[in-house]
Amino acid sequence: MKKFFTLLFLLVTGITGFAQTAVTDSLKEVISTHEGKLTALDDRVLVNEADLAKLNKIKVSGYVQAQWEYYGKDLVKTNEPTNTFYIRRARIKFTYEPADGVKFVLQPDFSTGNLSLKDAYAVVNLPFVKDWTLWAGQFNRPDYEVEYSSSQREVLERSRLIRAIYPGEREIGAKLEYIGSKIPLKFQLMAMNGNFTGANAKDVDSKKDIMARLVYSIKMPSAGLGIDLGGTGYFGGNRAKTNQYVLESNGVADSVAVGDYLKKQWFGAEIQVFADVLGGLALKGEYITGTNSTPSTIASSSTMAAKKADPNKVNNFSGYYVYLIKNIGQKNQFVAKYDFYDPNTKLSGDAAGSSVNYKTLTLAWQCYVNDNIRISLNYEMPQNEKSASVKNIAGVAGTQLSDNTLGIRIQAKF
Amino acid sequence: MKIINKIVATLMVVTLFSGSAFSQAKITVKGSDTMVILAQKWAELYMKNNKTSVIQVTGGGSGVGITALINGTTDIADASRPMKQTEIEKLKARYNTLGVEIACAKDGVTIFLNEANKVNELTLKQLSDIYTGKIRNWKELGGNDAEIRLYGRENSSGTYVFFHDEVVKADYSSNVQSLPGTAAVVNAVKKDIDGIGYGGAAYAVGVKHAYVKKDANSKAYVPTAESIAKNDYPITRYLYMYLRNRPTGETKKYIDWILGSEGQSIVVEVGYFPVK
Repeated sequence: MKKFFTLLFLLVTGITGFAQTAVTDSLKEVISTHEGKLTALDDRVLVNEADLAKLNKIKVSGYVQAQWEYYGKDLVKTNEPTNTFYIRRARIKFTYEPADGVKFVLQPDFSTGNLSLKDAYAVVNLPFVKDWTLWAGQFNRPDYEVEYSSSQREVLERSRLIRAIYPGEREIGAKLEYIGSKIPLKFQLMAMNGNFTGANAKDVDSKKDIMARLVYSIKMPSAGLGIDLGGTGYFGGNRAKTNQYVLESNGVADSVAVGDYLKKQWFGAEIQVFADVLGGLALKGEYITGTNSTPSTIASSSTMAAKKADPNKVNNFSGYYVYLIKNIGQKNQFVAKYDFYDPNTKLSGDAAGSSVNYKTLTLAWQCYVNDNIRISLNYEMPQNEKSASVKNIAGVAGTQLSDNTLGIRIQAKF
Repeated sequence: MKIINKIVATLMVVTLFSGSAFSQAKITVKGSDTMVILAQKWAELYMKNNKTSVIQVTGGGSGVGITALINGTTDIADASRPMKQTEIEKLKARYNTLGVEIACAKDGVTIFLNEANKVNELTLKQLSDIYTGKIRNWKELGGNDAEIRLYGRENSSGTYVFFHDEVVKADYSSNVQSLPGTAAVVNAVKKDIDGIGYGGAAYAVGVKHAYVKKDANSKAYVPTAESIAKNDYPITRYLYMYLRNRPTGETKKYIDWILGSEGQSIVVEVGYFPVK
């Protein structure tokens, strides 16, 4: 009996031992398999992290502005619509930052009837001089309303003055910029072709236009007040390439040598006041005055009479704009804007021809539905200087045009 | 008709109370990872004593908090660095204010070294050279002949920006390993004998604090209550709360409490230093 139990014991322990060894081996195999899988996963995570790090250097942002406009009767030509839906802006901005202090930006615009390149530039931090950057490519000219993004601006369009002297807002050139981290000072110095962008983007003369802007910020935190004060200067010229005749601002015909430069020079002063009064309140304004020129595009082989009839033009101009913006709660904003532009300060009325001055009052309401969507209601009421050259839709000269515009815009930003 | 009157009366009472007694004042706080523990402690204690208040705290980095403030998705942005001019410009553009800056604590950006590292003391210049990649071996600083391994924060971090602006003053070396949070930096240095990292003082557990001096002739300090209060420690900074407008109502009450004795005692408890 003893032998039987001994045999049974040995048999059971033997089987158990064998089973334990088998289980251990099997577990080792499972662990080894999982270790392999984990290592493979680790490798994949590393590869993904490296890919993600590259993708993190690319930022994509943009906005779409869908708009409906209703025009005053003198803005509507015969058989043309009185109102329209259209896409005012549809922009995607690609920003690539391969390293600290280096940035590339590309921004096309796909708005209705217009596919154009808005921004294409590189920005680098200057080594050894903190707070200085160098910009090269196509980007905004250094001016407050020009640089104030269309996606942020509180009225649908920029002032008539700014649209006249900085058409398209962008220029091709290079810019040095200082934004003080310790001193509340901003300085911008830009050298540019001076021909605007688009078809004439490449320079047509050897001289470069220079523009400078300096802004100093004053902060009064205890009063909830901030004031930015600044000035701009533009120094450039247009070359009279084909025509020696010049029509001066005062309407007197003069002449220059073909190849001479026509003056393009102005100065501006700006102020922005921000106050925390039951929510934000801002008062912003800019005044610019100087001389602008338009070179004649007539062929150099044209007759003298034809050249006299289409001369180069040099005009003294001035203009300003003032915004009053009041935030109402976190989502709403009321805006009143008044702007004035006189393209020829030396002549007025009939003598000014088509270069009449405009005073425009704009009232607007913004509703920020969320951080992506903004709805704008905008009513623009321009008042033109009366002149024999300005005619309404019925052909009557010297009248006040009925050219108010009502606009409703939905902006989606991402 | 009587039933309808009763229903209307009940609805009116419910409406009235839903707008007052039952309402909870909710404040959202977002931003600095350096401040997240401190902000959570503040919120917990404040909510304990103010049952109608709900304070929701999340991290993500100072940059994330400030962006949320600009986008209107947070009431308070916590930041371990001052707001940048570009961020103030965005705030001006959207809200027509400069924002409100409230310094709520002080911190010494601590230089973390592995406990086995022979190096104990560094000048600001040496730190800059280390993080720009000019000094690459501990031997150049009196340590072992070993390559320096750099740990730092992601660029959304306020500590990253502050350390860049006040110490490195040039572009960071491409060899800096960016980690999501000071705790991760501390952990990396703890495991790596040749590692160096930086971050808020409250997180430095299990690593050595380097003594930091302004230049070779200055006295070296570690961040302590005394060296921070006297501004002796060369990498001293304020921790901030930012708001869009001057605070009112429950937000003002909460901020006043933070700046008061109770709120400031939590600052010390967490490992930072009081404002005054």
